[in-house]
Amino acid sequence: MNLYNLAFNNIRRKKLRSALTMLGIIIGAATLVVLLGVTAGATSAVKAETDQYMYDVVITPASSTGSYLMDAETVSKIRSRSNLFDFREVTAFRENINGNEISFEGVNDWKQVKLKNGTSGVVISQDVADKLGYGIGSKIKVKDQELTITGISNVVQALYVHIDQGTAKQLTDDKVSAIYASTDGDPQTVADEIEEQISGVSVETKSENVAEVQEMTDQALLFMGFIAGIALLVGIISVINTMLISVMERTRELGILKATGFTNREIKGSILFESGLLGLSGGVIGVILGITGIVVIANVLKLTEYIPDMMPLWLILGVIAGATLLSVLAGLYPAMRASKLNVVEALRNE
Amino acid sequence: MSNYIIEFEDVWKTYNMGNTEINALAGLNLTLEKGSFTAVMGPSGSGKSTFLHVAGILDTPTKGVFRINGKQASKLSVKEQAKLRRNEIGFIFQRFNLMSQLTILENLTLPMINEDTQKAMNILDNMGLEGKYAKRPGQLSGGEQQRVAIARALINNPSIILADEPTGELDSKNANSIMQILQDLNRNKGVSIVIVTHNPEAAAFTDQILQMRDGNVV
Repeated sequence: MNLYNLAFNNIRRKKLRSALTMLGIIIGAATLVVLLGVTAGATSAVKAETDQYMYDVVITPASSTGSYLMDAETVSKIRSRSNLFDFREVTAFRENINGNEISFEGVNDWKQVKLKNGTSGVVISQDVADKLGYGIGSKIKVKDQELTITGISNVVQALYVHIDQGTAKQLTDDKVSAIYASTDGDPQTVADEIEEQISGVSVETKSENVAEVQEMTDQALLFMGFIAGIALLVGIISVINTMLISVMERTRELGILKATGFTNREIKGSILFESGLLGLSGGVIGVILGITGIVVIANVLKLTEYIPDMMPLWLILGVIAGATLLSVLAGLYPAMRASKLNVVEALRNE
Repeated sequence: MSNYIIEFEDVWKTYNMGNTEINALAGLNLTLEKGSFTAVMGPSGSGKSTFLHVAGILDTPTKGVFRINGKQASKLSVKEQAKLRRNEIGFIFQRFNLMSQLTILENLTLPMINEDTQKAMNILDNMGLEGKYAKRPGQLSGGEQQRVAIARALINNPSIILADEPTGELDSKNANSIMQILQDLNRNKGVSIVIVTHNPEAAAFTDQILQMRDGNVV
């Protein structure tokens, strides 16, 4: 038996009160996880949807060229410009298959392709499946190469085939339909320079609206964090209250501990341990409930593919560590009071 | 090395009650030899309990020099005082002051410097409490609870036991039994013991009786 066992014992013997104290932390932690998780997931979803527009400049073949692809030499010229970075290329082309004009599009981020069946790799739209009678595992011949279909997307009323960007580029002899890039200069000036210096390309700057949307989602994350933080704070205040009552109720017990030679530091440590334990338990239970809430909400909102984004490790560990740390801090004042008790008066306490 | 377990040199303990000052100890000079068994008696308010609290470093004197086993308590830090209490002093209280939520074995192992369950059980056995290790204090009689308190006081092999009215809540049979245990501890183990009591029958078990009045020995 030591003081830490005693602290654990105290939580166990006052089950209802410990549970009610933890309830405050549980609600706070669960709210924090759900609000921040769902907002983080929604932010990820918005970012995934808008990322293709989140480049400072988008370079495509000029309409005057009559081509929808830029050749390897043009691509190389663009990529070698010192004021451009973070390149992302997309290659899209059309191919006639069995009398149908099918659009092939290179994919960098498969999250943007909503799969109905199968896996990423070579994904056909439902219309392609219906019109050409293809299914997962069927072979599709493109530019003298055979691709095996791995999935079906929920793109409707369009004859689309999504393939890895690398494959798309290789099929078109390293040609690219669009290059997205960031720049450290003024996007418009850079765009004008590129159009002037590289022939046959057209450059557009990113939509400011998209930037605003992303900024708004970031602000929403902060705001939700603030609201949920208040919920957790209320829980923490209940820890201060409980620990103060506990110290008052146990005045005599604390007097006995002092009389039997426990140092002030040991007594303080046991009170902090007890409050930290309440915070840790409340935090862990709250996070578990929060995760359950996220799964339910993601299913309702049909955002299940974003579930991993909704429960990032920093959020889970941060909430548990935060609840524990704040509870330890909440125990500081009661612990100081306990350690400063006058032994003689404490022993007289009824 | 001092021959005295307790030394008080002109020790004062003054309380302020509004505008009035009350001297619970008024220049107390007192020495108790190692291995002595002493009863401190006197009317209520004579300063006996204050003497015991100061001797046990539960309370600090307003002025004067106090030594326990040769160590001057006022020169020690709060932490060192707590360690001295744990290593050198065993307390027995009138109302037992056991932890009600713990078993009697846990009550003994909690303050142990090095937890040794076997040693705790042996001490409980010597107090006639064998087989009751898992009982909680509330399940024991007053006499048994006080024997647990004595066992707890002995757990770290103290140099001195300080007992505040150890028989105050017990009937005469149990009171005699507790005093017999204390006398045996003093005679056979050489533990110095000081008891504060109103009970002359309890005091009769000791080797010397000090009478206190108005914060001093008379």
